[in-house]
Amino acid sequence: MFAPLRPVAAHTDRRPNEDEVTTLDSATVPDQAVRSKAAPRPAWLSGIGAFQSAAVLYMAVAFLLPVLLMTIRAVSDPQNFVDAFSSGIFRRSIWTTVRMSLTVTVVCLVVSYPYAYVLARARRTIVIILATCLLVSFWTSTLVRTYSWQLLLNNTGLINTAMVALGIVDEPIRMMGTDFAVYLGMAHVLAPYTVLTIYAQMRAIPRELEEAAQIMGSRPATVFWRVIVPLSRPGALAGAVLVFVMALGFYITPQILGSAQNVYIGTAIVQQVQAFLSTDVGAAQAVVLLLIVLITLAVGGKYLGIGRILGLDKAGQR
Amino acid sequence: MRPRFGVTALAILMAVIFLFPTIVVVVTSFGSGRIVSFPPQGWSLRWYAEVFTDTMWVQAFGNSFAVGILAAALAMAVGSALAIGATRTKIFPASLVTGIAMSPVVVPGVVLSVGVYMVAVRTDLTGSVIGLALAHAAVGVPFVFINVLARLATLDKQIEEAARICGADEMTTLRTVTLPIVAPSVVIGGVLAFISSWDEFMVASFMNSPTFRTIPVVVWGEVISGADPSTSAASTLITVISILFLALAAGLPRLRNRKVAP
Repeated sequence: MFAPLRPVAAHTDRRPNEDEVTTLDSATVPDQAVRSKAAPRPAWLSGIGAFQSAAVLYMAVAFLLPVLLMTIRAVSDPQNFVDAFSSGIFRRSIWTTVRMSLTVTVVCLVVSYPYAYVLARARRTIVIILATCLLVSFWTSTLVRTYSWQLLLNNTGLINTAMVALGIVDEPIRMMGTDFAVYLGMAHVLAPYTVLTIYAQMRAIPRELEEAAQIMGSRPATVFWRVIVPLSRPGALAGAVLVFVMALGFYITPQILGSAQNVYIGTAIVQQVQAFLSTDVGAAQAVVLLLIVLITLAVGGKYLGIGRILGLDKAGQR
Repeated sequence: MRPRFGVTALAILMAVIFLFPTIVVVVTSFGSGRIVSFPPQGWSLRWYAEVFTDTMWVQAFGNSFAVGILAAALAMAVGSALAIGATRTKIFPASLVTGIAMSPVVVPGVVLSVGVYMVAVRTDLTGSVIGLALAHAAVGVPFVFINVLARLATLDKQIEEAARICGADEMTTLRTVTLPIVAPSVVIGGVLAFISSWDEFMVASFMNSPTFRTIPVVVWGEVISGADPSTSAASTLITVISILFLALAAGLPRLRNRKVAP
């Protein structure tokens, strides 16, 4: 385990001093180390640099290339975009997607605040219950949960059966194929993200601030609105941008639970490629969706920092 | 300030709503009738027997496993190389490396699917474990990258410097100091990458062929065409395997620390 200690003997004549320690910089040392052994190799081909170059190459070929080629293919013939927008389904789908994604984002924020607050401040037992339910749900795949909502929201599903049995309604309400079903299904998938970002931000609020506000005579509701909400706003907004962007790219939930008339952009694209077999027009529509996502992220990133939206700030701090 | 009773009750109600769909799927999988009903009329394990014997399900599970393991292994290698590179070398700017590593989070699945499909059709990679695993690995990279980056941020750079002063070259330091320290994070990232592949539907549906379908693609087909309780059984298995893997990975670093502690 301590094999690297061995060469110390060879170096006893030159004691490392402060300067050398601080210049032990990954950019300079590898070069020296390599040069002493063999002919110099460029940094990007030696040691860690070689691994990194290979990894960058992998991402370029396996991920960036397909997206880039699709974009080039779509842009190479402007007719693709003309055809894309001449489809009424697609034009409507843009508005449907943006409108429903915004609604889902608002629902997620409203639902997440009380949940995150209790998660951050309640007794241990309650925290464990809330965390377990949230995480089991979070790790159940979107497809499986959407399937489950289909079972529950059916005319013969549990919710309708129970409501009829309890006399709340006389006959089953149609819930499948409505916007309500999509909001429910999507918020169920996306709310954990806002809960977790708001929770992380709330944990950072010192309890003393709330106590101080209470001592000064604030009611709990006032403490919530004047202390908790302003101090957790950055986390909430970052979570909201993330959730909005994720909602824009949804396919499974609106396709299974939503109406056949108001389709999502994702559905329009899949239809174009798989049913109409016009891949290039589908590619053009995919480029439009990608642009909407990138513009949202650029605007959100300008005010909140892109690292915060993608959860990278925590990776850097911890 | 402890949350008030009303707020706590509301949160617990929401917790039940979060958990409920998972419970419904699990419970319906043990039903005995031919129709999925909640609560079931009777109880049986016949739908699990069907999932374990029906070629369609068995093959789909096999495909998903093969793709997931391959994708996770690739994502672990690529993700940790990017994270270590971003913090330890200056060949590429760190922001560029971070951008490349995180790009799969930003690009919607539908968009990636169309791109991957267009490339796969020309390279004859549709309907193959390799083709799908290559795409899924890229999607899994951010999970590994974030976890390894977080671990590297807490790592005292002097430990690596000490190794270098003691005469270890760059690769020896990487192999004997850096990698063992970040290994638990690499594994957690790898498990998350596995689950992301295991659950991934969009790219898998574009890459499927009559002989090659992963579990989410088969489940989707069943849900669209009217599911029977075997769909619930398969869904339960998907979920249990995901959570089992996560629990194992979450327990791993603690086990390691315990062993190291005197």
